[in-house]
Amino acid sequence: MSDFEPTIVAFFCNWCTYTAADLAGTSRLAYPPNIRIVRVMCTGMVDPKYVIKALLDGADGVLVSGCNPGDCHYINGNYKARRRIKLLKEIIEQFGFEPQRLRLTWIGASDGIRFAEIMREMTEQIKRLEPSAARLKMVI
Amino acid sequence: MKRRIGTAVVVGAGIAGIRAALDLAEYGYGVTLVDRAPHLGGILSQLDYQFPTDHCGMCRMLPLVQRDDASQHCLRRGLFHENIDIRLATEVTGIEGEPGKLRVTLKQQPLWVDPERCVGCGRCTPACPVEVSDAFNAGLTRRKAIYLPVPHSIPNAYVLDAAACTRCGACVQACPTDAIRMPEAERRKFHILVVDDELAVRDSLKEWLEAEGFSADMAGSGPEALDLLLAAPYHLMLLDIKMPGMDGVEVLDRAKQLSPELAVIMMTAYATVETAVGAMKIGAMDYLVKPFDVDSLIPKVVQVFQRIQAAEARQVETGAVLLCGGTAFYDPSSGKNPFGYGVERNVLTQIEFERLLSGTGPTAGRLTRLSDGRPVRRVAWIQCVGSRDVQTDADFCSNICCMVSVKEALLAKTRVEGDFEATIFYMDMRTFGKTFQRYRDVAEHQQGVRFIRSRPHSLVGDPASGGLALRWVDAAGACQAESFDMVVLAVGQRPAPVSAQLATQLGLPLNPWGFIEPEPFSMSRTRHPGIVIGGAFSGMKDIGEAVIQASAAAANISRVIHSAGGSLASEEPRLGGALPESLSREPPRILAVLCRCSRTADSRPPAEFFSRALRGDPAVAAVETIENLCTRDGREQLLTLVGKTNANRLLVGACLSYTYHRHLRELGPEAGLTASLVEAVDIAPWSDISGNDAAAGALVQLRSGVAKLKWVDPYPAPVIQVAPRALVVGGGIAGMTAALAIADHGYGVDLVEIGERLGGNLTWLRRTLEGHDVRALLEDTLTRVEKHPRILVHARSRVVQAHGEVGSFTTVIEGIENQVYHLKHGVAVLATGGTEAPAKEYAWGASPAVMTQSELERKLADGHLDAKGMEAVVMIQCVGSRQEPRNYCSRVCCAASLKQAFVLRELNPQLSVYVLYRDLMATGFMEAGFTRARQAGMIFIPYRLDRSPLVQPVDGGLTVTVEEPILQRMLRIDAQLVVLATGIVPVLPRELAEAYGAHLDADGFFQEADSKWRPVDSLKEGVFACGLALSPRSIPESIATAEAAAQRALRILGRERLATGKVVACVRHSLCSLCEQCIDACPYGARMLDADSERLLVNPAMCQGCGACAAVCPNNAAYLQGYPARQMLAMVDAAVGGAC
Repeated sequence: MSDFEPTIVAFFCNWCTYTAADLAGTSRLAYPPNIRIVRVMCTGMVDPKYVIKALLDGADGVLVSGCNPGDCHYINGNYKARRRIKLLKEIIEQFGFEPQRLRLTWIGASDGIRFAEIMREMTEQIKRLEPSAARLKMVI
Repeated sequence: MKRRIGTAVVVGAGIAGIRAALDLAEYGYGVTLVDRAPHLGGILSQLDYQFPTDHCGMCRMLPLVQRDDASQHCLRRGLFHENIDIRLATEVTGIEGEPGKLRVTLKQQPLWVDPERCVGCGRCTPACPVEVSDAFNAGLTRRKAIYLPVPHSIPNAYVLDAAACTRCGACVQACPTDAIRMPEAERRKFHILVVDDELAVRDSLKEWLEAEGFSADMAGSGPEALDLLLAAPYHLMLLDIKMPGMDGVEVLDRAKQLSPELAVIMMTAYATVETAVGAMKIGAMDYLVKPFDVDSLIPKVVQVFQRIQAAEARQVETGAVLLCGGTAFYDPSSGKNPFGYGVERNVLTQIEFERLLSGTGPTAGRLTRLSDGRPVRRVAWIQCVGSRDVQTDADFCSNICCMVSVKEALLAKTRVEGDFEATIFYMDMRTFGKTFQRYRDVAEHQQGVRFIRSRPHSLVGDPASGGLALRWVDAAGACQAESFDMVVLAVGQRPAPVSAQLATQLGLPLNPWGFIEPEPFSMSRTRHPGIVIGGAFSGMKDIGEAVIQASAAAANISRVIHSAGGSLASEEPRLGGALPESLSREPPRILAVLCRCSRTADSRPPAEFFSRALRGDPAVAAVETIENLCTRDGREQLLTLVGKTNANRLLVGACLSYTYHRHLRELGPEAGLTASLVEAVDIAPWSDISGNDAAAGALVQLRSGVAKLKWVDPYPAPVIQVAPRALVVGGGIAGMTAALAIADHGYGVDLVEIGERLGGNLTWLRRTLEGHDVRALLEDTLTRVEKHPRILVHARSRVVQAHGEVGSFTTVIEGIENQVYHLKHGVAVLATGGTEAPAKEYAWGASPAVMTQSELERKLADGHLDAKGMEAVVMIQCVGSRQEPRNYCSRVCCAASLKQAFVLRELNPQLSVYVLYRDLMATGFMEAGFTRARQAGMIFIPYRLDRSPLVQPVDGGLTVTVEEPILQRMLRIDAQLVVLATGIVPVLPRELAEAYGAHLDADGFFQEADSKWRPVDSLKEGVFACGLALSPRSIPESIATAEAAAQRALRILGRERLATGKVVACVRHSLCSLCEQCIDACPYGARMLDADSERLLVNPAMCQGCGACAAVCPNNAAYLQGYPARQMLAMVDAAVGGAC
């Protein structure tokens, strides 16, 4: 599976992780091109249907990343995301997706290096799985 | 935004400057925010992690109402606001005029890199051959002479360090946009006259200066120099003091008469330094002590050169000036340097350690020894290095270092895998803030941080192990030694270098240590009514305090501007952004513009590829390419293109999309597009990879942008009405101050006081430790409140009911004879105060000779205390305080004990005073009072909580038994008076706070929205707190919170209508089942069920657009305008690469 290049949809919060992504860009830290960024105001607004939609569309992985605990610009949106993602991991299994395809991380605005590391890690994690079969199975 | 004609200048763009500038801008004043540095953020730009979350939350300072006037991204990256003109690398060189009509002279340092042309590609940096120490990383790393001052700041234009630059021109060659110019020609035109009687000195100076590209002439004597000055103009004179015949001072005096503009640097032998200092008083700029080397000379010369090359000085007319000039730090390598700073590589300052923890720091956040890269297992923090130390002329406490060390210790623990031991050596842990004591307790008891009360005396490096041997004397007098991998010094504050100069220029008094002294009972007002101080400029403070005082300073500034007529509107308010009516119904015509940037690789895919791919979508009207879009030329081309293509939506594909937000917003009105119709996507990450991957990756981002624009809701933001009145609950000093500050701006205030009369705790206080007259303050404030035409005092009244939201509250109060009034107001300030905690311990009540601090204060006031007949008094600190359930410091009791001890000593100079304490919280400049007390022979004995003193009544007197830790023996003190410092408890009824949607913290104080970034606000917008109801505070500190609360309230009262953000939650009532899940999900309390209409309503001013409600709604009834679900789903589609 060495030539498998997964598509990973990444929901990044506007305040922390998107800033970290930008910082990684400014600092010229390379991270895999598999990450497809969708900027949201807060991870707390990531509706389960967005995640499921991405997986059904054929994404091989979904990453949700927001502010560190206690740092959410909107007080507690990241905690809401944490609860939701935990449930979602169980739900997507019912749809036939491995729970490892979904991941929640917290990356602070100044953690450009950590951002690049996590992007690499996530890509490796998804590469170890088979490509998502959703695109073949589902008719949308 | 309602623009007013008033303007303010805020000097210093650190955290305090930013807070004050935002407060003033939100009220509608035009603000010029100036900083000497080429970046925003001050010290905070170097600190990634802040206590108590140990992360960051700076963005919470951004405006909450009228959000779209300001940037909405990480504040560490940068800031913009419609009303703030940010001028970096700029200095204030003069302030003159009357309050309300000041003229401020600003000088911008020459920018050798044009920020309008620099695209931040960074090609100049590897080309540069010069390496110098990097101030951003506190000198732990090296940087080039051309560099990015802060890696995360935007716009990210490079800066040329003129002092380090060798003018080799390599960067000019490397720059693809011709943004860099070399100061070569300018330097040749800079004429320097060297005056020295020694030929050898003259020659070497001339040689050095010419090597640097300057033009230098020489004179061997005073008269010769004066002749040369007459013949030709010079910019700078380097002048020796000791010369035969006419000496340097005389030459200086005459030269200044000939050309007053001439800059002069004196050269002196060590013996005549005093003469040189004297020369500075008659016009010399600086001096150099001989013998000096080229490295100390050239920076000084370059500084003069830079100043003369600076852009034409600009004069700004303004109402008032806020000085937030920051602070300097003690240099631990100066003096005796017992801890080997600068000698041992693993001895760091707190700021250096902070950089070591940072992801953008020298080790990318890994904690390793700087000497050999080995992992760090044991770290020691040494407190009070250059603070609380009369030997370094620092008889003050620097306030923040105790908490910084605890925070760093906890952060360090998270960075090290495996064993790690953190040890803090301290004299008193000054955990005087609201949650500080509990934070310390967690560190000590749960995280295992060792706290050792001692002052280590020396440190020796061990070359074999690379460790540091630290020696100290423990409480029992035994010498201890341990080895550490790293030692962090908590270095004290020093006044900012500009303090003295500004003080002289403006006639402001300095305190004995060189900090500008504010007026009595104020933390921000100075003797000059138009000039206010803030931030660490008036003494070090933590973020929360700096933010409070910045808002307070803004209130004081605003008052000056208002009374000079600055509140008048200069512009009709634009609400929610004008939008052509038809636009929402027009089909989208998207113009996609791709930046072809000099910073990206040449392997990027051709424009035709994108054009073909995007044009497949009927919503895309045109795809164009522009060179270097982020430059001024690029933006102009963009504007032309928008006009030419008649597009109604704009997509920009470039690098660093943040950079564009501001420019695109400015572009909006000119091109007829509001911000929501413009989108920027980052295609930079794809530029470093080649071939098809890059093209596909960039295309996905562009398609996702197209999807977003296609489904945007171009509706104007909703607007709410504001009742222009305030309610203040509580008539103590905080309530009265807040009421006055609001009423002075022309808004009506209802001041509700439960008691008979106003005044609160001030009615029983007489003097402060500093000797200021509390009664005079009370009388003055009472008179102003009672005479104020806009303040309506409701005495003997209480709030019985309240409802409503920001802009329109209704409060029912019950007054004299059960009379009921309904008050309508736009904001509420809770200033219900606090009182002395009741005493339960130490035989209080069993003996009349045991009394609390307030009982003593009252007895002293009415002369009912026979101090002359006493031999000894014992004061016990922290009675019931700083231990569960009241585990917080009350902040005022240590000062009160010191004050009362001095008063008692005045009455009876023979009186023995014993103060039994745990940690003496003589914060800030109060430390001098502590020193004075010890010098006066008062005895301070620390006690441990598990060995509290014992007080027993014996035949009319009292016996106090306590363990003396140095003698290690029990002491018995026969005292005639025991004073208990029981601390403060708040008086804030839960029902009252909750009626306004505010909450109480664990100790019954007002729960602020955020202890650092929003310290006087409630999470629910429009409700504020100040004074003791907020947290224990001294009188000046309470006044500061009151002024801050008033300023926060004025942001809202200042507008008749509030426009909300473009991203705001809404309800589709036809789908809503009233399940109320969204009400629980909303962190701001912006949603409520309206019982009359049976509808769920959203207050759009309180809603911050987080979208939590939309995500929980089971029926899709709650949705986020500006982020509708169909738009999100289309973006997901585009991201996966499916149908667009």
